[in-house]
Amino acid sequence: MNQTVNSIRRILLTMVLALGIGALLILAIGENPVDAYVALFKGAFDGKLRLGTTLAGFTPLLLTSIAFAIAAKAGAFNVGVEGEVFLGGITAAYIGINWTFLPRPMLYLACFAGAMAVAAAWAFIPAALRAYYGVNEVCTTILMNTVALYITSYLVSGPMSAGTANAQSLPVTVTLYQFMKPSSANVGIFIAIAVVVLVILMLNKTSWGYKIRTVGFNPSHADYVGINSKRVFISAMMLSGMLGGIAGCIEVLGVHGYFLNNFATGLGSNGMLASLIVKNNMAFTPFMAFFLSVLKSGAMGMQQATGVPKALVDTITAVFIIIATMETAFQFAKKRKAQKKGKEETA
Amino acid sequence: MNAILENFDKIFNVSLVYATFRSATPIIFAALCAAITQQANILNIGTEGIMLVGAFTAVTVSYFSGSWFLGIVAAMIAGAIISMIMAVGHIRYNSEICAIGMGINMLALAITKFLVKAIFNSTGSFSSPDIKAIPRVNLAFLDSIPVLGELFNDWCVTEWFAIILIIFLQFLFYKTVWGLRLRAVGQFPEAAKTAGIRVNSVKYQAMLISGLIGGLAGAHLSLGYSTQFIENMTNNRGFMGVAAMYFGGANPVFTALGCLLFGFSDSIGARLQAYGIPSQFVLMMPYIVTVAVLSISMVAKLSAGRKRESALHSGN
Repeated sequence: MNQTVNSIRRILLTMVLALGIGALLILAIGENPVDAYVALFKGAFDGKLRLGTTLAGFTPLLLTSIAFAIAAKAGAFNVGVEGEVFLGGITAAYIGINWTFLPRPMLYLACFAGAMAVAAAWAFIPAALRAYYGVNEVCTTILMNTVALYITSYLVSGPMSAGTANAQSLPVTVTLYQFMKPSSANVGIFIAIAVVVLVILMLNKTSWGYKIRTVGFNPSHADYVGINSKRVFISAMMLSGMLGGIAGCIEVLGVHGYFLNNFATGLGSNGMLASLIVKNNMAFTPFMAFFLSVLKSGAMGMQQATGVPKALVDTITAVFIIIATMETAFQFAKKRKAQKKGKEETA
Repeated sequence: MNAILENFDKIFNVSLVYATFRSATPIIFAALCAAITQQANILNIGTEGIMLVGAFTAVTVSYFSGSWFLGIVAAMIAGAIISMIMAVGHIRYNSEICAIGMGINMLALAITKFLVKAIFNSTGSFSSPDIKAIPRVNLAFLDSIPVLGELFNDWCVTEWFAIILIIFLQFLFYKTVWGLRLRAVGQFPEAAKTAGIRVNSVKYQAMLISGLIGGLAGAHLSLGYSTQFIENMTNNRGFMGVAAMYFGGANPVFTALGCLLFGFSDSIGARLQAYGIPSQFVLMMPYIVTVAVLSISMVAKLSAGRKRESALHSGN
């Protein structure tokens, strides 16, 4: 319990520090930081439209952050969630447009299942390369993101194009109900929450979850006790891909209603940030995802109300993550000295 | 497809050699930036970010000072600062290198976007005739020689420098005491420590030099390869560099050869686009080639390693 309190305190401290550095940047360009942050907050929560937009932005981040975290639990650094969102989205769009012979409830299922299958298959490639041949997954997943982006971009400007000036597909025949019009918040958020709860339960309460944690902690130990660490690693990456696929499906069916070129840019990396800041702690990740989506959706309001560019928000989150990764940064000098002393005494 | 075969000689000609080298140079610098830290067993995932900050700094300083040289120097210093943030985080405060590296990449993307807006009040890109580009080397006597002239004339100064840097680093890694220490730190830090090498100090030095090279990579990209700054203009070249570094096992010469392969696929793609190949396929080609080449080289290394092991056992 003490550890939980400690990590919460750490996160809050980091948050304050990041916002402080952001404030300095705002001062540096001659604006008032208090006004900017108030505008940011208003931009995220003030009124039905803005609150709804924040929720709509939160939905994919929740899924992508958990997707990154689950892969990290198995020891993978899966930067490829973004590509998986793209491919899940395009698959959902294809099925949603073309498989109209299915009855409606089945069509919903088919969209989600298709998105999950394709995204999982995409995640399988870097996972298998890493597990069996030691190919660094950070490199492959980053490069494959770009490949996925171009594949979908080709499809919506070529074979699946709606023929409009914007590269986009035809509208899908099934959509998720939007409950906060005119914003695009939709019932996908409940699907996302349910999926995330399931994944967290699975990780902590099932033997498969235990295997994933064991492999992430020490693959050699896992192999020694009879867990096929390679297979578990790959399955965790594929699960991570599936979550990305679901996010893509919700975006297409819930937010846009069609596949929009480039729609997922930043979704994967922001999810990764949310997860990295809390060191892939599954319980904290959703809250961090929410915080980041508030920052994101408030940024536009801030740019309009004050002269502060909205890229400031990305700068703050980047500073946030850099400080958060420094594991020993907040063990202050006194404490460190005490630790050193303790070590010497035991030795 | 027919069109491609008919115009085969237009696609594969002498100018392709320089085109390949030209698109490979930014990646070569990036790969060297990653190679030097890899020798000290630090995976420099932040190469992309270092490069982007370098590119922005180079354009800004060149624009305000009117000197491309000052632009390069400033870019190298900026790259070193960014890389030192990463070094302090990783070495002093125990950050996971991938995590802080990705953080650095995000920071670079965000802060350049922010500064382009704050300094030049433009979004997306910044270009101006006042940005002084890195000059090209024109050797007058080559003009009259047909093939050599086309191959070697009018190279950018930094393109020549890339070749010097490859040779220099090769020498530094494998023929100097410093290089020996660097590799010792990377391969067996405990042994290096026992031998009296200050491990962390060597790591900091490697990161510092890596930052200088990464900044230069960015400066070449924004002042040599093109003369402008575009948001996210590195476009994953940093990661391609890291992949090439893996391909070459952090050996500068092999690493550079890997980069040429990506440069080749890039410039072939650009030519094929004229003959009806969809642009997206052309654009994704270097990425696919990178992943494929990286995988093949790792598979080959693994099987070579296994063979060596089994030879050892049968020898006993």
